[in-house]
Amino acid sequence: MIAGLRPMGVEKLWVLLLLGPTLLGLALGALGSIFATFGLSLFRWDLLTPPVWAGLDNYIGLADDRMFLRSLGNTILFSALYVPLTIVCAMTVALLLNRRIHGVGLFRTLYFLPVISSPTAVGLLWTWIFAQDHGVLNGIITSLGGDPVRWLGPRMALYSVVIVNVWGAIGEGMIVFLAGLQAIPREHYEAAHIDGANAMQRLFYITLPAMAPSLFFQSVLSTIHAFQAFDYIYILTRVGNGNSSVPTLVFSIYRNGFRFFRMGDATAQAIVLTAIIFVFTLIYFRIQRRWEVPI
Amino acid sequence: MRGNTRIALAALAVGLLAAMGTARAETEITYQLWGSPQEAEAWQKVATAFEAQHPDIKVKVEVNDWDSYWEKIRVLMAGGTPPDVFAMDAPLYPDWQSRGVLLNLQPYIDAEPGILDDIYPITLEAYKTKDGYFGLPRDFQTIVLYYNKDMFDAAGVGYPTADWSYDDFRKAAKQLTKDINGDGSIDQWGFWAEVVDPEPYWGAVVWSYGGDIVDPAAGKTLIGSEKAMQAWHFIADMWLEDKSMPTDEQLRQYGTDGFQAGIAAMGVSGHWSVPDYAPAKFKWAVAPVPKGPAGRVTSVNSAGFVIAKASKHPKEAWEFVKFAFGSTGQAELAKIGLAVPIRKSIAESPAYLDQASAKIDQQLFIDALQYAHLKPVFRGYEEWSAAVGDALNSAWTGTASVDDAIPEAVQNGDDVLAKNR
Repeated sequence: MIAGLRPMGVEKLWVLLLLGPTLLGLALGALGSIFATFGLSLFRWDLLTPPVWAGLDNYIGLADDRMFLRSLGNTILFSALYVPLTIVCAMTVALLLNRRIHGVGLFRTLYFLPVISSPTAVGLLWTWIFAQDHGVLNGIITSLGGDPVRWLGPRMALYSVVIVNVWGAIGEGMIVFLAGLQAIPREHYEAAHIDGANAMQRLFYITLPAMAPSLFFQSVLSTIHAFQAFDYIYILTRVGNGNSSVPTLVFSIYRNGFRFFRMGDATAQAIVLTAIIFVFTLIYFRIQRRWEVPI
Repeated sequence: MRGNTRIALAALAVGLLAAMGTARAETEITYQLWGSPQEAEAWQKVATAFEAQHPDIKVKVEVNDWDSYWEKIRVLMAGGTPPDVFAMDAPLYPDWQSRGVLLNLQPYIDAEPGILDDIYPITLEAYKTKDGYFGLPRDFQTIVLYYNKDMFDAAGVGYPTADWSYDDFRKAAKQLTKDINGDGSIDQWGFWAEVVDPEPYWGAVVWSYGGDIVDPAAGKTLIGSEKAMQAWHFIADMWLEDKSMPTDEQLRQYGTDGFQAGIAAMGVSGHWSVPDYAPAKFKWAVAPVPKGPAGRVTSVNSAGFVIAKASKHPKEAWEFVKFAFGSTGQAELAKIGLAVPIRKSIAESPAYLDQASAKIDQQLFIDALQYAHLKPVFRGYEEWSAAVGDALNSAWTGTASVDDAIPEAVQNGDDVLAKNR
């Protein structure tokens, strides 16, 4: 492994010097704001008057804040669907595109396109696809003799936004998985082939175990994205007055901090969000350590 | 010749230096507001007219959309560098005023006897506090009924009149709801309104049925009273039973404003919609909102100006507010056609009544003041409106009945009122 190369002597100084600006920015920017957020969550602050000490009040208040609980529930349900679906879809696409077929570059580009498209534009496009009377999806369903589905109605909205978010995330997962797939040495497959392993066996005994690191990496990333999901969801579910019919955690944080004069509550919610993501990341790392397959 | 050029250049240089000298003596104040690029232009004109009268003051006008505007003002305020003058929406005013970040304008007003004489009294109400005015209204908005004449003509339904009750309104809306292109799904609705915030629609209906909205001092949301429930049932019946209004999902297919999109025969809105509707391909007009069992009631709200307490140039900022609040400024604003001037002498003059951009019954917006209630104004308004609106929305999407949604809206609203006391 390349990690075995260690800088020596003067090189160490250079490493520090070159990494310095980035590390400093990270320390001040990322860590600094995490600590500041945590600090603020212990205060009552409306941005206009000096913060007032609140201890754990902001956290205790979350327990019976209906709007917060609703957005937390939505976010958890969303994540529970989004993460596994994203992993499965991205993996499937990566497996299909990891071969020599005509126009593979085009397909890869197409799948990656949503990642670099503006969420607002894409969200509006999906609004049109999901539209009740003139939408593309309902057009197909009714021409096949089915009843139109209220895609963005109260019963389906959550699932519809999961679809859009998974669709938007396939490209990113695909890149990670393709990189993983292409790093698997060809000899493993050749050896398996000689031993008479069929396609299914090759997938389950070689490909997937070898992909474990990519799978864990992508699971962590997807979980983080799931809990931070906001843009597509807001565009597809916004109602009058800046509300949303599927409010998420990030939406709730924004609303409390910047609309309701409740920076303390907003930061407490942000800390809860961070804690949830942190716990999941820890769990993933635990599982990964147990599963790690040396190649 | 050469010598002359040199002298001319020297003179020019001296002149430039002198000009820069005076430029440095000028005070620059900033005025920020929410609105459209057209509004920015109109305000720039007001600022230019002001600068002509006050050569020592420059006004920097900055416009943002509604959401960005409030974020920006909060952050600038937190950072200690607020704009000198900024626009205020009356319902949100107590949130800012009660936090002590606005300049008390009372001493300035006291120094200008008669400055409030020509103003419609109800527009001043929202800005009055026991310590005086910390803001002044800039313009006002009364809610009226807009109707699409082409749709009424095509359906053979008589135009809305001043005698219309909510039942007449409901009947007409039902007749105007149709499947025009015959594809099996409704594509024209009798009425469209956003039913989240009390303005523009539900507040007026609740009042017209004899109910009330909120008593912030007592911490009570009042929309669950027996009379208010009649109003809610009226709205729900018209929307969910008659289906005379598009659902959010149906509306989304055409845009965000159903009347402007040309899919709704009627809408309720303030004067702010006039510039949006003026270029429409269909003919439209305005009428008073219908009458309820308790008479005709509409809502009125006024946008205003405030000066930041932290402003380094309060005197200059006041001069600008005074100017924009005065006759010249108000006449200039009347021309934008976005709102009604708060000064009687301007509103009841051709400057407002005879606007070239939209030939409609402008007088109606002024007459509406006689039967208008003030849109609620209290600390925590936006949070309360969102909390109530979230619960209302569950009724409009069909996840809860009105009888379940309203008690929840009341509970949500009361929680917010308790938190903001």
